[in-house]
Amino acid sequence: MGVSILLIIISALLFPGLVGWMKSKFVGRKGPRILQPLFDILKLLKKGNIYSSTTGILFQIAPVVYFTTTLLAALFIPIGNYQAILSFEGDFVVFAYLFGLGRFLMIVAAMDTGSPFEGMGANREAFYALLVEPAFFIIFGSIALLSGHNSFYEIFINLHTSSALSFFVALLIIYILFWVSMVENSRLPVDDPKTHLELTMVHEVMVLDHSGFDMALIHLAGGLKFAIYGSLMFNFVLPIQNNFLVQLLLFPVIMVGYALTVAVLETFRARNKMGKNAQWIITLSALAIVVFLSFLIITQHLNFGL
Amino acid sequence: MIIVWLVIFASTLIYFFLTERVSNLIQILSVQGALLFAIAFINLENMHLLGLILVLLETLIVKAIVVPWFLNKLRKTNNMKRLMENVIPSFYSVLIMVFIIMGSFMLGYFMNNDFVDVKFFTIAISTILGGIYFVIVHKNIFNHIVGFLIIENGAFLLSLAVGGEFPFLVSMAVLIDILMAIMIIGVFVNKVGNTFGNMSTSSLNQLKD
Repeated sequence: MGVSILLIIISALLFPGLVGWMKSKFVGRKGPRILQPLFDILKLLKKGNIYSSTTGILFQIAPVVYFTTTLLAALFIPIGNYQAILSFEGDFVVFAYLFGLGRFLMIVAAMDTGSPFEGMGANREAFYALLVEPAFFIIFGSIALLSGHNSFYEIFINLHTSSALSFFVALLIIYILFWVSMVENSRLPVDDPKTHLELTMVHEVMVLDHSGFDMALIHLAGGLKFAIYGSLMFNFVLPIQNNFLVQLLLFPVIMVGYALTVAVLETFRARNKMGKNAQWIITLSALAIVVFLSFLIITQHLNFGL
Repeated sequence: MIIVWLVIFASTLIYFFLTERVSNLIQILSVQGALLFAIAFINLENMHLLGLILVLLETLIVKAIVVPWFLNKLRKTNNMKRLMENVIPSFYSVLIMVFIIMGSFMLGYFMNNDFVDVKFFTIAISTILGGIYFVIVHKNIFNHIVGFLIIENGAFLLSLAVGGEFPFLVSMAVLIDILMAIMIIGVFVNKVGNTFGNMSTSSLNQLKD
């Protein structure tokens, strides 16, 4: 039972370093070691926090809540046949709201600083989260409809991609989940973690005032989010694979593939214009509705003469 | 398998409202042409050779290659890169397109008719309504051509919905009609571009006898 969370935590620790290393190779730089972000986090964990006198208790607890809710959300994710630690009917809704709670606290903390830049970043983060959430719910609502179950483990165990349409829809779901993960982690094309200008930042500007231990927790939560979404995509790729060992061996392969995709994207794709982000994100929800309609056809809730 | 192509076809309709690059619009039109060929090819399994050649000519050759090539030429001649003259912001247009698709699916669900193939009818109605909406929300003449071609693709799907193959002469007439329409509109676009320096339909108000 604990295998799934163990795999997720290991992936979370290695993922940012792997992406950074791959990006360096693509542009011809030597780049940092894969474990460098981990060492940075360890260094930050040893440091104390510095709080501005304008901030209150919300600012202090937000990173802890953000990290805790993300870790708690990871407990809901099964990996293949390795069951999740927490699993119950409708757990995917709790999962989404745990992410929402962590994000809410970070937004409130950013506004607590009184900095107009952080308020602006918080505003953008809230707006993007609002736009991307329907895509997540529509997808998991649709696969709950298809599988007849509404917990992550039951959904993935009962998911079959038998027909050409269901196979295509599974691919579309992975595509949407990938972009949802990029929006959730504030990465390209909606945000650029490398940007140095506060005006163009989204997530980075929100966490400018955090330091030391709190900053380490924020970095860890970011890695965890990537690992969680990677695990969800893995479950779509191998939903009914019964051999535990094969699943254990294929999980790193899928995660490396995911990291490679992120690295390629962040190396070769430009960031969206800020004004275009909203319509770009809402397109994910639009595609999720196409997935939903396809599932209605597959389950013959819509009469398509199949 | 045909449902897969139809679902991809429905997805392309959303992307028409997302992109502002003229080259992307042309690429999506080309993809739609190829998808139409796949759909028609699978649907009309027992088609005779002449019919197959005609469908190949209409979809893969004309819709996927010739028309996009011509539009690309038009784009380069008039130096069009991005067209940002939407009456309604793209954000709302994407949502409206989704509602159009959902509405068409609901309409298809309630239509229980022996004379109409629901799966083609649903996507055809989405495409035609999407094309009309595309024309309404854009002021640019070039986008009106794109909208016209979307509607035309919808009409092709509608023909599949109501009975498979058209007679040879009708198919030829439709094919020539599309080509002629695109050529004439192309010349019109070039003239408007030369006269006013832009493609906005609001410029046409300045025309006098």
